Amino acid sequence: MHIPDGILPAPVCIGGYALAAPLLGYALRKINRMPDVTEQIPKASLLTAAFFIASSIHIPIPPASVHLVLNGLLGAVLGYFAVPAIAIGLFLQAVMFGHGGLTTLGVNTVMMGLPALLAAWVFRLRHRFGRLGARRADLLFAFLAGAMGLGLAAIIFFGLILATLPSELDAQTERLAVYGLVASHVPLALIEGVFTAMLVSFLRRVKPELLPGSARWDGSNQSRANQPSTDQSSGESTGGRAA
Amino acid sequence: MRLAMDEFAHLDSPIHRWEPRCKLLGLMTLMFAFAFVERVWLVPVMLAIALSLYAASRLPLSFLRSRLRYPGYFLLGVVVLLPFFSGQTVLWQMGPLALRQEGLSAMLLIAGRFLAIVTTGFILLGTTPFLTLVAALRSLGLPPVLADMTLLTYRYLFDLAETLSRMKLAMRLRGFGQAQSGDRRGCAIPFLSRRSELGNLSALAGTLLIRSYEQSERVYKAMRLRGYGYTSQSTTAPVTRKKTLLSRLDPASVMGLAGAVSLAIALLGLGFIPVSAGIPQLDHLLSFR
Repeated sequence: MHIPDGILPAPVCIGGYALAAPLLGYALRKINRMPDVTEQIPKASLLTAAFFIASSIHIPIPPASVHLVLNGLLGAVLGYFAVPAIAIGLFLQAVMFGHGGLTTLGVNTVMMGLPALLAAWVFRLRHRFGRLGARRADLLFAFLAGAMGLGLAAIIFFGLILATLPSELDAQTERLAVYGLVASHVPLALIEGVFTAMLVSFLRRVKPELLPGSARWDGSNQSRANQPSTDQSSGESTGGRAA
Repeated sequence: MRLAMDEFAHLDSPIHRWEPRCKLLGLMTLMFAFAFVERVWLVPVMLAIALSLYAASRLPLSFLRSRLRYPGYFLLGVVVLLPFFSGQTVLWQMGPLALRQEGLSAMLLIAGRFLAIVTTGFILLGTTPFLTLVAALRSLGLPPVLADMTLLTYRYLFDLAETLSRMKLAMRLRGFGQAQSGDRRGCAIPFLSRRSELGNLSALAGTLLIRSYEQSERVYKAMRLRGYGYTSQSTTAPVTRKKTLLSRLDPASVMGLAGAVSLAIALLGLGFIPVSAGIPQLDHLLSFR
C-alpha cells in the first residue's frame, strides 16, 4: 500500500514531507534519549530488514493471496524505532523496486508510520490490563495493534486518494467506491490483526525479550509472586544491578 | 524477489560524473517540478526532459523496462479506469462505454507525471552507487541514526532474503502448501482456508525476526570490537569541513545543478502562463482544471 509518484498533486507531496519530518524528528529525539542507542541501532536495523523481507510473505486467501503490511507489528516490536524503520523500508522499496516513489516518500512515511507509532502505544497499554492475564492481554493488544496499523493506514490512503483524484467523478460512484474499498479492507485488517497476535504469541514462547516492556512485565509478576525466576530477561536485569 | 542494485553504476557518462550531492538536489528538484505539472501540453515537454536525461546517462533501455514493469500495473489501472469513469464531456461512445474528456486529460497527466518522475528517479539511482547516495544524503543533513540504519538494513537485506527463501524451501519440503484433505483443525476465520496455515506463516515470520535479532547481537559485538559508537568527538569534523568541500566542487557539477533548478523553475513558470491566448476553446482543451 504505497502511493506511487505522479498521482498526488505536488503540494500534497510537499505537505507529506513537512509532516514526515517532525514525526521522524520526534521519534529520533526519543531514540537518542535511550541509554544504549548504539546497541539498539544494529538491532533495529536488522529487524527492519527482517520486516522488509517478511512483508513479502504471501498469505493464501482462497481465490488469491495477499501480502501483509506488518506496520502494526513493526510498531509493537520496535517502538519508536518503527518510524525510521518505515521511512528506510519505504526508501529502499522505492529505490530497489519502484514501489511507492521518491516524491511521495513523505506521504507514505506518514501514512504507515503514524499508525505504527499509535500501534506501539496501544501495544504498550497491555500492561494496564493485568486483570486479563499476561498472555491474554498480550494477544488482545497485539491483535488491536496489528488491525489498527493496517486499518488506519488504509483509511489515510483512501482518504488521500479520494480527496485528490479528479473531482468530476459523480458522487454516487464515489460513495460506492469508498464503501467497497472500506469493506474490502475490513477482512484484511482482521487477518493482519490475527497474524500479529499469532506472531506475538510465538515470540512470547520463543524469544520474549523481543517484545518491548516484557522485562518489566515479568519483573512485576515476579515481585508479586516473590520467588526467583529462571526467566532470561529478569536474570539479565538482576545481573545488571549486581554489576 | 530480485535485489540487484548498482548494476550500471560503473558506467561512464556526464550524469555518472555529476557530483552526487548536486545530482541528488538537481534531480529531486526536477522530480518535484514534474509533480507540479497540471497542464496536459506540458506532458510531452517533461517526458522529453526525462528521456533526454536518460539518454545522457547512457543507461541501457532494458534497465528502465525491467524497472518499469511493476509500477506499470498501477499505470495500467489508471489508464483503463479514468477515461471511462471520470468527467461529463463524452468524446466517443460505444454501447455502455464512453470515453470522457476530463478523465482522458487526467489520465494523460497522471501517466505523464508518473513516467517522468519515475524515469528521473531511476536515472538518479542507476547512476549512483547506493553507498555514495547515502553518503550524499548524510552530508546534506540526514541524521546519523538514519544513515547508520539505512546502511545496516541494506547490508543485511540480501542476507535475510536468502535466509527466508531457504526457510520457505524447508517448509515446502516438509509438506507446507500441499493439499491437506484430512486437516480440518481449528476454527474457520472468514476468507481463510485453514488457521494452521496462518499459524505456520506467522511462525515463519517470527523465526525470521528471531534469527535477525540474534544475528544483530553478534553483529553488534563485532562492530563494537571494531570501534563502533566511539565517534562522538569526530562528529563535528564534517561541519567544519563542509565549506572546503563545497568550494572543491567542480564547475560542471555546479552548472548541472543550476541547469536542473532553472529547468524546474521554467516548468513551474510555464504551468502558470495562460495557454489559450484568448481562445476559450483552446483553453478548455489544453488545461486540466
